[in-house]
Amino acid sequence: MPDTRRITGPESSLSPYTFSADFTATPTQPLNNGVRADGRQEKQHRPVYLQAGLITQARGSAYAEFNRTKVICAVEDFQMQGQITCEVKFATFSCQMRRQPVQDNQEKDMSTQLLEALEPAVCLHKFPKSQVDVYVRVLENDGSALSAAITCASVALADAGIEMYDLVVGCTAKLHGQTILVDPTVSEENAPSTGAGKPGGQVTLGLMPSLHQVSALAFHGDVDFDVLSQAVQTCQDSCQKLYPILQQTLVKTVTERMKDT
Amino acid sequence: MSAPMVCVPGQRVARKDETIRPGPGTYKRNGFIYSSLAGSLQKQQEPDGKIKSKCYPFTMLPVLHPRFCKCAIMSVGKTPLKESFRGMIRKEDVRATEKDRVEMYKCFRPGDIVVARVLSLGDAQSYVLSTAENELGVVIATSEAGATMVPISWCKMQCPRTLMEEFRKVAKVQPEFIEYTPT
Repeated sequence: MPDTRRITGPESSLSPYTFSADFTATPTQPLNNGVRADGRQEKQHRPVYLQAGLITQARGSAYAEFNRTKVICAVEDFQMQGQITCEVKFATFSCQMRRQPVQDNQEKDMSTQLLEALEPAVCLHKFPKSQVDVYVRVLENDGSALSAAITCASVALADAGIEMYDLVVGCTAKLHGQTILVDPTVSEENAPSTGAGKPGGQVTLGLMPSLHQVSALAFHGDVDFDVLSQAVQTCQDSCQKLYPILQQTLVKTVTERMKDT
Repeated sequence: MSAPMVCVPGQRVARKDETIRPGPGTYKRNGFIYSSLAGSLQKQQEPDGKIKSKCYPFTMLPVLHPRFCKCAIMSVGKTPLKESFRGMIRKEDVRATEKDRVEMYKCFRPGDIVVARVLSLGDAQSYVLSTAENELGVVIATSEAGATMVPISWCKMQCPRTLMEEFRKVAKVQPEFIEYTPT
């Protein structure tokens, strides 16, 4: 029976800005005189802001900001069999198109990729009786949400006092033919590969920098093998550059906590 | 003294050699010791004598069954737990001798505080505990009248108010597990 009392709106809605010239104008070239649309170099990461321990109710938490990509993460633990679960969710207002409150396929996919990235880093044998739940919420998505989630979640895990072999740093690269764009924005992510027969794709890497081990590698697209391996190497270098930021964030949180007690 | 060094997971702490051993919160890999936690680093001189690792949880018994009793682990050694863990003492682990003649209701009652040893991780729900040692068993118990009972033998306790005797598997309490709080 139809619900007569409810005003049935359309199933999905779009922001009016979607139709503005600014949004629809996709850059025809990924690089303009060697400079990207937001003025960055090809292999330059956006500035990163990290903060740990800001959700007081959670066992551990972290917040990460890659310019306009904003991600928050909370870690809880329960008494269960020893395992770790991840849940990634985009906030309904985080993207250009409104997201539904229930987890969709892309978010489920990201959750498994995040789990894949974190699992090798966590010393699971140290807590055989507890389950660690990682909740990630993307507050604003301006590209590279998965790599931001990986970085943020590993800081949150360390903040929760969960034993880990190493931190995990995430990095995404967009491939346009031979060009590798580190840490793409959403317009760079959505831009189609230019020209006929020009392959493109996107690669996300999770790296444990101190052990120099790759914990996760996700790729979709169609590129030459040597371009892909070059992109992986570029991502690794970028992760190594980000690693001190994670360290400093944690050291800051720990020192502040030691001062309080 | 200088400020303590703060470590993050994956940070190299020291080179592994004969004189240094990784403690809790660290692990060794490729001849180095790495930190696995975010926190301050402490180096401790180890005592020469070997320390036998013992785990004595203090537990409270909420449920009694003829074959086992379920309990809540409140603290491990002298460390009180933030939240209790579930444990289980099986009938055959109550005492070391005459295991088959154990009657659970003559050994424990709900509300007792028990010192026990962890036997194994058990299943997903609970740890398996044992009290099959003289030093392990009931430490604090209340009588039916509600008074704290006094142990009179290894298997009996007496209520100071009604002078009723009740059966318990009484622990011979070891001084290293008692902590006196000044009142």
